[in-house]
Amino acid sequence: MAERNLEQLEKIREVVSQDLLSGRIELLLGWEKGHYWWQSRPLFARSKDDLAKLTWDSFCAVNLSRYLLEELKDHQKVGVLVKGCDSRAFNRLLQDNMVERDRVVLYGLPCPGILDYKLLAAEAGPELKGIAEENGKIVLKTASGEVEVKRDQFLMAKCRECLYPDPVVYDQMLLEPQGKKEAPERFKAVDELETLTPEERFAYWEKELSRCLRCYACRQACPYCSCRECFVEQENPRWQGRAYQPSENFLFHLVRAYHGAGRCIDCGECQRACPVDIPLQELNRKLIKDINELYGDYEAGLDAELEPPLLTYRPDDPAAFSEK
Amino acid sequence: MKKMITTDNLTELWARLAEESTLYLPVQDGPMVLFQPWQEGVQVDLEAFNSAVSPKDIFLPREETYLNYRCSGQALELDAVEDDRAITAFGIHPCDLKAIEMLDRVFIEQDPPDNLYQKRRENTTVVALSCTNPDPFCFCGVFDVNPLDAPGADVMAHLVDGSLHLEARTEKGKALLEKAGDLLEDSTVDIAKREVKTADFGLNVKGLPEDLKSRFEDPVWDELYKSCLSCGVCTYVCPTCYCFDVEDYGHEAKGERFRCWDSCMFGHFTQMAGGHNPRPSRKERVRQRFMHKLQYYHEAYGEIACVGCGRCLRSCPVNLDIVQAIKALGGEKVEQR
Repeated sequence: MAERNLEQLEKIREVVSQDLLSGRIELLLGWEKGHYWWQSRPLFARSKDDLAKLTWDSFCAVNLSRYLLEELKDHQKVGVLVKGCDSRAFNRLLQDNMVERDRVVLYGLPCPGILDYKLLAAEAGPELKGIAEENGKIVLKTASGEVEVKRDQFLMAKCRECLYPDPVVYDQMLLEPQGKKEAPERFKAVDELETLTPEERFAYWEKELSRCLRCYACRQACPYCSCRECFVEQENPRWQGRAYQPSENFLFHLVRAYHGAGRCIDCGECQRACPVDIPLQELNRKLIKDINELYGDYEAGLDAELEPPLLTYRPDDPAAFSEK
Repeated sequence: MKKMITTDNLTELWARLAEESTLYLPVQDGPMVLFQPWQEGVQVDLEAFNSAVSPKDIFLPREETYLNYRCSGQALELDAVEDDRAITAFGIHPCDLKAIEMLDRVFIEQDPPDNLYQKRRENTTVVALSCTNPDPFCFCGVFDVNPLDAPGADVMAHLVDGSLHLEARTEKGKALLEKAGDLLEDSTVDIAKREVKTADFGLNVKGLPEDLKSRFEDPVWDELYKSCLSCGVCTYVCPTCYCFDVEDYGHEAKGERFRCWDSCMFGHFTQMAGGHNPRPSRKERVRQRFMHKLQYYHEAYGEIACVGCGRCLRSCPVNLDIVQAIKALGGEKVEQR
């Protein structure tokens, strides 16, 4: 079992069930437990009975904001539980005019970072029965006893360099905020890739992308990929071929990454969704780093009023491609 | 004949097999294990559970060209592509082999059969590997798969105490062991004594296919799809999904026609010329996938098209997997339908 913070959960449930019963919201997007203690999956709650299944634990990885794209078609008013990254995803959708702010109630949940079962199991072995958490420590429970480890080492890759664990946009903050975090190694992998020659970099990405199944999970999980029709599916002209050739894999991932330039909120859902663990966040972070260097620091999704650098024009914008 | 080979000698065995055939086995590729052709220096992991993507692509590649064309004026030349390679599929777990046998019915036991698939299958020697330490996602027992035995194998292999125990079951299998020759010793280990446990999630699928026949409009479908992201993960990692698309690569004068995997989870899968789409939303697509697994395939071939390999449980980004579907549809031991 994964220990849930019952006190926190009760507080969350109390607020959202009141709003659901009073009609302030018609639907709540939250999480419920999956088959395993290390999986929490999306919950679509419309009643008090539904809310009995609600959970809030260290495995609520799925970004719920993206479901607004569909659920606002069927509901006038939708409530969403948002972690820091989910709230920035909401701002992303807002900036893209994909959601209406006044039809959504955001409940803020400061996030301690999502745990990665693969890392836990690698540490404890397959006999891992569950965990308990306390003050930044995790107790791994196995058949042969309990081991205490530091929580930080078992975060999902997407959470390890998180700057904003607190929601940046919300109607109601449900738990105590924890403040901005440091992410000193956010661009470490990018820096390392930049030291390679172009040929070496090409070989690196050719190998990583060779596993790509083109299942498009990265795109479907992504809050910046909200286009009603993606270039991948366009028939005329046909940009994206179906072949599993390196050139086609590069085309998809690079066009997607460039489309996210200045818009990617660095939530890492793409990489989490990838069934073959392609380090997609490295691609996105390269673009984030370049944008920051060219146009000044910009964090996508932090403030919906701040236009993304590539959607604005200033006469003094650098023109790196035309400068010799 | 029952033989064994110490793990130290396996590399030599693989080198020999790879001389005469394309040898696929579970290989560490970056952070995961995938079935890939053997080459010197690859890291083979026979204890891995389960390869991230099923080994179906040995027989149904992600992409394959089957026709080359050349046009000049009114003249059209067509060249069918043949695949005559000898193949060895090494380390296939019982669930995955059962899934391949399910694909056989779709591609071979038809008139006419799919000759590319058929040829590849005929040219392949399968060395199946029983399961030592299944991971928590494995639930093959629900579908009567025995993790310790794969009836369709040419050679049945068991990894016990640092040695691989091999039993040839067919002529092809005997030929393979003969090639291994001097690397083999006689095996005396009693395989029957082993025991392996897999999850069952309290599932009971008996009667479910028949029951689903009349449940196309069941309200379950109105809820189940909600979390689906419309990506293709489940279909692409699944060992029993086999849909493909056909496309040309090239231009008017010259090019190739190929087929490649496609997924019923994609919106454009059923998009027709003129714009009509009979499966316009995620609801119809999710229903299609699970009905195909649990009902349509069963109706056509007498079995549920799931072998409990657990890949969708592991890889679905939102945990909308077949166990959730079966439970939602009432396929549980405790519940009464």
